[in-house]
Amino acid sequence: MRNNTSDMPYPESSTLYRLKTRLVPWLFLAPFLVLTCTFFVYPFLNAVALAFRQTNGPASNVFVGWDNFRFVLTDPDFHTAVKNTTVYALASVFVQLPLSLGLAMLLNAGRSRVKNLFRLVLFSPHLVGQIFVGILFAVLFMPRYGMFNRFIQALTGWGLEQRWLSTPALVMPALIITSMWLYVGFNMIYFLAALQNVDQNLVEAARIDGAGPWAEFVHIILPAIKPVAVFVVVLSTIGSYQLFELPYALLQGFGPKNAGLTIVGYLYRTAFDSGDLGTGAAIGWLLALIIMTISIVQIRVAKAMGGEA
Amino acid sequence: MSFPYGKAPLALLTVAIVTGAILAATRGRQSAYEPDLVFMIFAPNHVEAYEEVVAEFEREHGVDVDIQLVSSRALTSRLQAALMTGAPVPDLVEILNGTMGYYTRGPLQDVGFVDLTDRLHDEGLYDRIVESRFSLWSSRGRVFALPHDVHPVMLCYRRDLVEELGIDVSTLTTWDEFARVGREITTDLDGDGNPDRYMLDLNHGGGMLPTLLLQRGVGLFDADGNVAFDVPEAADVIMWHIRQTRGPGRITFEAGWGQGLTKTMIDGLCLFYFCPDWRTKQFEMDIAALDGKLALMPLPAWEAGARRTSTWGGTGLCITKACRNQELAWALAKKLYFDKDELGARFKASNIIPPFQDAWNLPEFQEQRPFFSNQPVGALFAALAPSTPPDYASPYLSLARTKLSEAFLNAVDRFEKHGEDGLREYTISELKRCADYVRRVSERNVFLREEMEARP
Repeated sequence: MRNNTSDMPYPESSTLYRLKTRLVPWLFLAPFLVLTCTFFVYPFLNAVALAFRQTNGPASNVFVGWDNFRFVLTDPDFHTAVKNTTVYALASVFVQLPLSLGLAMLLNAGRSRVKNLFRLVLFSPHLVGQIFVGILFAVLFMPRYGMFNRFIQALTGWGLEQRWLSTPALVMPALIITSMWLYVGFNMIYFLAALQNVDQNLVEAARIDGAGPWAEFVHIILPAIKPVAVFVVVLSTIGSYQLFELPYALLQGFGPKNAGLTIVGYLYRTAFDSGDLGTGAAIGWLLALIIMTISIVQIRVAKAMGGEA
Repeated sequence: MSFPYGKAPLALLTVAIVTGAILAATRGRQSAYEPDLVFMIFAPNHVEAYEEVVAEFEREHGVDVDIQLVSSRALTSRLQAALMTGAPVPDLVEILNGTMGYYTRGPLQDVGFVDLTDRLHDEGLYDRIVESRFSLWSSRGRVFALPHDVHPVMLCYRRDLVEELGIDVSTLTTWDEFARVGREITTDLDGDGNPDRYMLDLNHGGGMLPTLLLQRGVGLFDADGNVAFDVPEAADVIMWHIRQTRGPGRITFEAGWGQGLTKTMIDGLCLFYFCPDWRTKQFEMDIAALDGKLALMPLPAWEAGARRTSTWGGTGLCITKACRNQELAWALAKKLYFDKDELGARFKASNIIPPFQDAWNLPEFQEQRPFFSNQPVGALFAALAPSTPPDYASPYLSLARTKLSEAFLNAVDRFEKHGEDGLREYTISELKRCADYVRRVSERNVFLREEMEARP
């Protein structure tokens, strides 16, 4: 290894050398520190302060204490938003992810050429983005002319004029169906990667010992993919609680009787429709708290069930 | 020559210097161009319409005006953020109906737009403009934008089918009469259990309620910014709406927008469609197949002899306080909105009725349009324009619309379970509950509250 110090024009004991060795690391760290302080630390501290204020531009700024939090926590619309978001998150975890895993297992069992093609096909909806998918599905859910209603009518002879997006009870199912098309393939990629890393010796040993497909899945595959599964569950939950663009594009707003109102949608409505940035900041902190709590619980539960999380 | 800290830091430093130099060079070039006025617009057809007028204005005044087209959502969010933070804003900007409340939610002196009230009165313009249109752009009696349009609402109908069915539209003078005829013609023609002909295209979620309520004289807010939709008249409109959209007496289909609407119109699934002036141009451009088959009629009234129109949408032109040459901006605003010679051609290109009444007698407004069965589209809308209702701005407009829809849908639930028994009382109580919610939210606004309390 080359010793750079020997090339130095001044001795190690000199003040210039000591200054240089102390300053240089900071010099190289400076861009990162400046950017972090400007775009993360300062906004973070500002957002904390903002949650306790009512503002109207830089000129008007009033401290309101806990009033923003008090209002949000007692607001029935916030309760609706939390309920809707939680239902969506539960559907993501208990409907969408099992489907992703099922598809991944099917693909994992297939031939490699077919596997690659289907992987691309199933993943591709994720490439187009939530706004595009929202607009596309708004057309598919149209009464009378929409593909869904045509399909349902062809099967059952009923439902041609079903108003998916303007009937409160049907809004969440429509949203879940749309998000499944968007995310099932995306999460499948994680599961597929995990399945490809399962030790085949263990699988073969289990088969030799007479394990059936279900026992093989429960006792070999599931424990092997558990770290990835926990990661996907946590990621999916966080993503679900941050949901905004998809319902906003699909419903052109938040749906009848706020049936498509999510927590971020509620934040947007408060902060950017009504201009109450202080209450918006308070909602943001409450959302952060909810996500943090749920993520910690999920990780702890996974740990308690054994294995790394 | 070797760099003392290795290759990676050298590469980083090189990239930083090169990109810094490029940025500095291009920024220098950008800042060299400084127009006298920057005018931001969200509607592409407005840009086309203004180009010639602006070029003429530039020649007349020896100035340079930079017109920038920005999508409406981007313009709204950028302008909101820039005005909040004191970042650079355009000199003139056209904003969309419903967004003004956001900019006027604080003390009047904090509004980022120039107060145009005195200029309008001093120059005798105020009385020449449809007065109700100032409601969209005012706060606490002060006007912060010039109204671009009136947007009166009529009904557009499939004239060929309506005549075939023997309906005389001149007899459809009230909504009750309209509904009665609607029940006669709403039919399942092929016996598959689904009607194949409806009387009216109407949003079943209550999306058209604000427009219908305005026609009835009920705004979501009053001139002082107070929540105003929990009145018995609103309950009556909701009851009517429910009867037409639900149950055995249903006469409406929700065609929606875009392809769905086009297909519905071409198929003749609905006979009548709500049609503000701007929509007539959309129909002309998008549904060529219906050339000569459509016609317009005033909205049926809520009571015999009452108002035959409403209003739907709007655009306003603001001059920002940051504008360095406000007199020049005012001169351009007047040239764009109040130059009678320009307004005729602009109407022809857009079918939008300007609020400047002097223009309505121009030949372009009297012209018969073959697409609309040779009706004089301009004259028809202009005749209704003076009776368009005021539609007051508020920062809580979007919330109020949501809550109105909630009251409506709760009334729908009640109707589906119990019919009309006790429905009116229930609707009134729901309207009150929802209006109280909007009041509770708006009363949290300390800036408006302080100003209201300070009033004599």
